[in-house]
Amino acid sequence: MAERPMFEAAGLTKRYEDGVLALDHISFSVQPGEVYAMLGGNGAGKTTTINLFLNFIEPTEGEARIDGIVTHREPLKAKEKIAFVSENVMLYPNFTAMQNLDYFTRLSGRPAPSRSAYREALLRVGLEEEAHGKRLKGFSKGMRQKCGIAIAIMKNAPAILLDEPTSGLDPQAGFEFIGLLRSLRNEGKAILMSTHDIFRAKEVADVVGIMNRGQLVMQRPSGELAGQDMEKLYMQHIAGHTGLAS
Amino acid sequence: MLKLVIEKELRDIITSTKFTVSFAACALLILLAFFMGAAGYNADVGRYEAARRENLKKMEGITDWMMVRNNRIFLPPRPLASLVAGVSNDIGRTTEVHGRGELPQDDTRYGEEPVFAMFRFLDLEFIFQTVLSLFAILFAYDAICGEKERGTMRLSFANPLPRHTFIAGKLIGAFIALAVPLLVPVLLGCVMFSLLGVPLSADEWTRLALIIAAGILYFGAFLTIGIAVSSMTLRSSNAFLTLLVLWIFAVLIVPRSAILIAGRAVDVPSLDDINAKKFRYSEQLFTEDRQKMSGFSPAKTGDMRKMVEEFQGFMGAIADERQKKLDEFSARLNEERANRQALQSAVALGIARISPSASFSLAAATLAGTSVSMKDRYLGAARGYQQSFGKFILDKTGMNPGGGMVFRVRTDETEKPKPIDTHELPVFVSEEAVLADVLPPAMTDLALLVLCILVFFAVAHAAFRRYDLR
Repeated sequence: MAERPMFEAAGLTKRYEDGVLALDHISFSVQPGEVYAMLGGNGAGKTTTINLFLNFIEPTEGEARIDGIVTHREPLKAKEKIAFVSENVMLYPNFTAMQNLDYFTRLSGRPAPSRSAYREALLRVGLEEEAHGKRLKGFSKGMRQKCGIAIAIMKNAPAILLDEPTSGLDPQAGFEFIGLLRSLRNEGKAILMSTHDIFRAKEVADVVGIMNRGQLVMQRPSGELAGQDMEKLYMQHIAGHTGLAS
Repeated sequence: MLKLVIEKELRDIITSTKFTVSFAACALLILLAFFMGAAGYNADVGRYEAARRENLKKMEGITDWMMVRNNRIFLPPRPLASLVAGVSNDIGRTTEVHGRGELPQDDTRYGEEPVFAMFRFLDLEFIFQTVLSLFAILFAYDAICGEKERGTMRLSFANPLPRHTFIAGKLIGAFIALAVPLLVPVLLGCVMFSLLGVPLSADEWTRLALIIAAGILYFGAFLTIGIAVSSMTLRSSNAFLTLLVLWIFAVLIVPRSAILIAGRAVDVPSLDDINAKKFRYSEQLFTEDRQKMSGFSPAKTGDMRKMVEEFQGFMGAIADERQKKLDEFSARLNEERANRQALQSAVALGIARISPSASFSLAAATLAGTSVSMKDRYLGAARGYQQSFGKFILDKTGMNPGGGMVFRVRTDETEKPKPIDTHELPVFVSEEAVLADVLPPAMTDLALLVLCILVFFAVAHAAFRRYDLR
């Protein structure tokens, strides 16, 4: 018997009040221990999908489910099972890394862990110890991103949502991040990430979905993509660019 | 989770540079208000005592109580009036008491020192009304939309955080973080007030505590308004601009407009009109009395003393009659004016109370005893004193004072008259408003401030339920 998917989009549709159809009946699922990469250009519908899973907006049709929980019906229950890292992690600048970690961990409903648990989480994401007690206002984007991932780790949620997580990271930080994602996948976490970075997507994802103008135009296990020119494939599936790469 | 959001808000505010700078400025101004209040009160006490001494001194050497014609009473300075000036600087602080007739109030503080009327005083009420409301806005305008702009809202609401918990935590946290530290300079100011020799009774301390509580409620009202506006806007710059406009209307425009509107809506005859009518009537009565006087013919006894007494009795009788008519006429005019004024005042205050700023001012002035009723209270006490003074002179001289014309016949020139003992004069006592008197009228405004907080919290809550968290 197949495991229940941790993320599931079922005919997910979103039409905004101004009439723009941002998502058009997309369906996919992400199993525990699986990384799903949503690829697509600006306006493809990646962030709308994430917003629907976070219940920041409600679907016009269809459902977004987390561990079987329909997000717009039981949003608080669904959010207990999800950790989120945004493209540009913004935390409280007057708080130290430790204080931010403590606040967001306790906000997730978890009882306050020990200080050493926070320290370990920050070290795991590669934030040096001397930075743990410093205020966030002096942190670089990469350091803030690391804090954001540490928050997701501390929440220990079975489902992790990542919105353009490697955007703006230097190659070293990007490499470390991919290693971290792999280790989280190996712990059994289901990871749904949106990205522009087709190479990182291929590197870490188990399934790659290409979105264009609110539609999921291609979805394949990464094993099937081995040896294929990922860039060409991507261009073939977006905005009628077929043939451009030839 | 509410506790967690409150803790976060407390820490976020207190660790910010904005808090350090603005709190230091507010604390300094609060302490300055107490210091200036104490210094002003002590100076007022000195002036009051000197004026009273001078009043008695000018009667020295007078040998006949009937010649005491310019006895003055003085409005004693009040400690709370130095913190909440209200109308205390606008009403006359002294009145010449004759024993009968009108009691005009002279020497207003602003009349004496008009430069103060230009910019008014830096009292505690001003600090609360103007500075603290801006302080509240400064911290509330980006409470919600700022979190969205900074991107922290997305991460917060990726957690099982109910919206109502977030908004309640924001308000409570901001209120505790800002109001509690403000109590420190206020308490220090109270200590300073005592150390600088301003005597406060238990009743006055209680009223001062209520004034501070009203200030904190007012601060809470602006904080809630700020959070409500922040919940309705997506950009903090828009929220700040909206709040600034609201502040200008609430603090500067509405209270003044209310007075103008009420002035247009309810016509009150001017004092000049009333005095002109009184003067014309008085002239008419004098003309009638002159005719009566010309018809006076004393009994032909040949006894000069009896003739004078008879004439004096006659003059006293017509003066009494004239005064009675004049008093009735004045009372009618005054009552008509007072009724119109009460209506105008009710309309003005009713409109002004739309603004929490007006509600706070009214509550603070009522509790300090410096509201518009201060003038009536002083006049009431002055009238009481006038009667005591009139009776005292009657007892001393056998004649009503202020009768207009007095004939004195001295028959024994060998006995040197003794000077009057001015300490025998009745002492003017102007009872200060006490808590039992001022609390009921102040409760209306305190309740309005609480209502304002509740209404705007409901607005903030309703707006945030639909807030775009993306």
